[in-house]
Amino acid sequence: MGPLLNIRFLCLTHKDLKLILADGSGIVQPVLLGLILVFVFSLSTPIGDEVSAQAAASVFWLATCFALVLVFNTLYSIEETNQARTGLLLSPMPLQHVWLSKAVTGLILLLLAQFFFFPAIIVFLGQELMTGWWTFLGTVLLVDWGLVAVGSLLGALSQGHAARESLLSVVIFPLLVPLLLAGIRMGAHFFGGADDGHLSAWAGIAFAFGSVFTGAAIILFPFVYNEY
Amino acid sequence: MNNSSHDHDFILRLEGVTHFFDQRLVFKNVNLVVEPGSILLVAGPNGAGKTTLMNIMSGLIPPSAGMVEHRASRDKYAFLGHHTFIYNGLSALDNLRFWSGIYGLRLTEHEHLQLLDMVGLKAFAHEKAGNFSRGMSQRLSLARVLMLKPVLFLLDEPATGLDPASRDLLREVISAGAGDGAAIVWVSHTLKEDLDMADRVLLLEGKKQAFYGLARDYRNQLYGTSLEH
Repeated sequence: MGPLLNIRFLCLTHKDLKLILADGSGIVQPVLLGLILVFVFSLSTPIGDEVSAQAAASVFWLATCFALVLVFNTLYSIEETNQARTGLLLSPMPLQHVWLSKAVTGLILLLLAQFFFFPAIIVFLGQELMTGWWTFLGTVLLVDWGLVAVGSLLGALSQGHAARESLLSVVIFPLLVPLLLAGIRMGAHFFGGADDGHLSAWAGIAFAFGSVFTGAAIILFPFVYNEY
Repeated sequence: MNNSSHDHDFILRLEGVTHFFDQRLVFKNVNLVVEPGSILLVAGPNGAGKTTLMNIMSGLIPPSAGMVEHRASRDKYAFLGHHTFIYNGLSALDNLRFWSGIYGLRLTEHEHLQLLDMVGLKAFAHEKAGNFSRGMSQRLSLARVLMLKPVLFLLDEPATGLDPASRDLLREVISAGAGDGAAIVWVSHTLKEDLDMADRVLLLEGKKQAFYGLARDYRNQLYGTSLEH
């Protein structure tokens, strides 16, 4: 099981990254949408006025959320062409490998998108990073983990049936509210330097969110993806 | 109906299999045995439930009632149908690499190229599968199936849209597979052409198993009548 997990998991991730990065369409769209969001928000304040750190963090995570929906729609629609999903269902591979692989690929693509969003926030919204890079990166990864755990589960749910294609965006945003609140409060600290004394509590919420949805996905994913 | 199969030596057995889509009966009480080295031809008019039966045999969907017994591990089943399971953005070689990885096979590049050579696609190994014709895509899918060295081939109208050369190749592969001891279940729309290769025939008609038995018995039964279904 161990070595096979690595082979199958890597095969899926390698294939998805190759397909998405080869023509760029799967990543260019989320990056552009996020950048437009940041730019348009920067126009909402009068020239010379400062954008609050919390507002900047909100825009950062909102752009990330939009990118999340687009990334996971793309990742799961790959398997619908020529019904490759059926091939995966027929293979002896445990279906949780599909969830894990899509989550990891989604995380890589999300980080790539955020790599562009972050400097845009700094430049267009006049922010600066008030803490260490590693703390910031760790926090982004913590929130991203919860995002991709949910994104990979709901992405599978929305595929295969035309009527469900809008489901991902309808269901995912309300579900992500606690995680986004945690991300915004922690982001406000990193951009503004203010510490309301509850940072560790927000980090705990993000960690709990990621853990709960990872566990739920491991249990539920085979039922969600196996529907034929 | 001929039920002389040796029940002790089978790869797949269906007993009393019945299936509904919501309230609509697709077929009822299908019984069959698929033995190693045999070719079972599944025939019937459109909507008779042939593809549904294949999906049940492959384990993709459970039957509404009845029993499906497999005697081979899941990685030894190969399914070839209307859909090719091919990623258009990957090359032919990368498609094979991907599926061999998913099945936990550790094949060398030379072995992958040999498989492509068997289906006449070696010259196109590095070309994107999205540029392939229907026939070439199905050949690539055939290479994927052969790679698994299956004991059970489930073929759902695999020849649809293929040119004569590709159809001949497919028939060669099916005969060779049966010769090597693999069992073949084959849904065919060209029954007249394919009946000679079959050992047994299953006819689904009128929401039931209208015939199941030796191919020669079926041929005799239809002597002088059209073989098209």
